Amino acid sequence: MKFLCIPCDTPMKLQTVGPPERGSLSVVYSCPECGYEIAMLTNAAETQVVQSLGVRIGVADGPANTSTSGCPFSAMIPPAPEARPEPAGGPAPIRWTAAAEARLANVPEFVRPMARTGIERFAREKGALEVDERILDAAREFFGM
Amino acid sequence: MKTYHDIAGDGGSGILEQVAEQRARITDALAGVRHLVAIGSGKGGVGKSTLTLLLAGALRARGLRIAILDADFNGPSQARMAGVRGAVFVPGIQKVALPRTADGVGVFSMGSLIPESEALDFQSEARGESHTWRATREFALLGEILRSFEWGPLDVLMFDLPPGAERTVQYADFLGPFDQAQGRPRVSFVLVTIPSEVARGVVARSVAALSKGPNRVLGYVENMSGYYCRDCNAIKPLFDSPESGGLGIPCLGAVPFDPELARHCDLGIPFGTLRETPVRQALDQIAQRLLDGLKEPRQ
Repeated sequence: MKFLCIPCDTPMKLQTVGPPERGSLSVVYSCPECGYEIAMLTNAAETQVVQSLGVRIGVADGPANTSTSGCPFSAMIPPAPEARPEPAGGPAPIRWTAAAEARLANVPEFVRPMARTGIERFAREKGALEVDERILDAAREFFGM
Repeated sequence: MKTYHDIAGDGGSGILEQVAEQRARITDALAGVRHLVAIGSGKGGVGKSTLTLLLAGALRARGLRIAILDADFNGPSQARMAGVRGAVFVPGIQKVALPRTADGVGVFSMGSLIPESEALDFQSEARGESHTWRATREFALLGEILRSFEWGPLDVLMFDLPPGAERTVQYADFLGPFDQAQGRPRVSFVLVTIPSEVARGVVARSVAALSKGPNRVLGYVENMSGYYCRDCNAIKPLFDSPESGGLGIPCLGAVPFDPELARHCDLGIPFGTLRETPVRQALDQIAQRLLDGLKEPRQ
C-alpha cells in the first residue's frame, strides 16, 4: 500500500506507527513536499493480516517506529513453562550460562519453552544444575541429532 | 497523477523488504537440500501422512538423508507416527536441531509441540474473522519453521501437506519460486488417492489446479488399493470401484491397506522393522520410481 499526495503528486512517507489499540494501528504518513499529514487507521482484521506476515511496519526506518507485534507465534502454544514458577518442593532451578542462553535465543519463540524444558530435564538427568554449551552439545548427541 | 507502479519503494513501511528478506533466509536454509517433495492429494483421509512416513523410511533405508516437514499444522500426525511426540528441541549455534526417528529421518511436526488434546491457535485481535488472515499466518509459520531448523544437507525434504486442492496449490506457490530463482530443483508433487471415484474426483481437481502453474507432478500413488491379508498372504479388494482411466499423470504404484502397518504407524514403529511383505515391496517400488522421477530432466 502506498500513499500519494494528490496536490503535489508526491509519494507520502511513513512518519510514525502507533502501538496497537484494541486491534487498531495508527500509521501516520506525510508529504515531503507540503508537509500534509494523513493517518491510516486499521481495523482488527487489517492489523491481523500485517501481523500474520510476521513483519514490523516501518522497521526499515529505525527503532523510532513502533512494531505491530513481537513474534507472531508467541501465543499459539500453551503457556510457556519458563513463565511458570517452580512449585514449592519441586526440583532445584536450573541456571543457564550466557552462551547457552544466547543459543536458546536463536530458537523461535514458539519452540523456545519446549526447548528450555527439555534441555533442563536432560541436564537434571545428567546431574547438572547448569545448562552450558557442553550440555547442549551432549543433548544433541544423546538425541541423535 | 502517479499510479502505484510509478512510485518506487513503499514509503517507509519496510514490509516488502522484510518479506523478501524472509524468503531469502528460507532459500539459504534449504541450500543443502537436493529435492523438495510435497505429498499432497486435495482429499483428506487418503493416507498422505502414512505414505509420507513410509516412503521416507524406504528412502532412508536406501541410505539417503531424509526429513519430513509435517505441514498439516491443524491436524499434525507425523509426531505420533514417527515417534517424536516427546522430542526435545536442542538449540544449535544458530538453529534448532531436528528431532529424528529411530531410523534417522528428521521430522518436524506441530504434534511435537502441541498435545493432541489441544488445537493450534494464534493470538489475534480479529477473533471471528480468521478467514481473512489464518492462511497467511500459517504460511508465515511455515516460513519460520523452514528458517529456524537445521535441514541440510539432505537428499529429500518431504512435505506432508494438509488436505484441500487450494492448499496444494498454495504450497506450490510458496515453495516453487525459491528454486526457480536459484536454479535449484523446485518442489515436486506426489499426489495420493484411493480407489474411490469420489477421491479420484477430488485429486483430479488438484492435478488440474497444479497444471495451471509451472509445477512438477511426479505422479500419483493409489493407496488402500485392496487390503493385504497376512493369513493368506494375498491382496483382496477393499473398494468395489470400477476401473478408472487414471489421473492423466504417471501412476507411481499402488499400496494395499495393511492393518499391521496401520498399527505400526499408531505406535511410531520405524519402517526398518517392517517385514518383507507385498506392501513393503510396493513401498520400495514407489520409492524407487520417486527417485527415478526426481532424476529426470525438468519439464
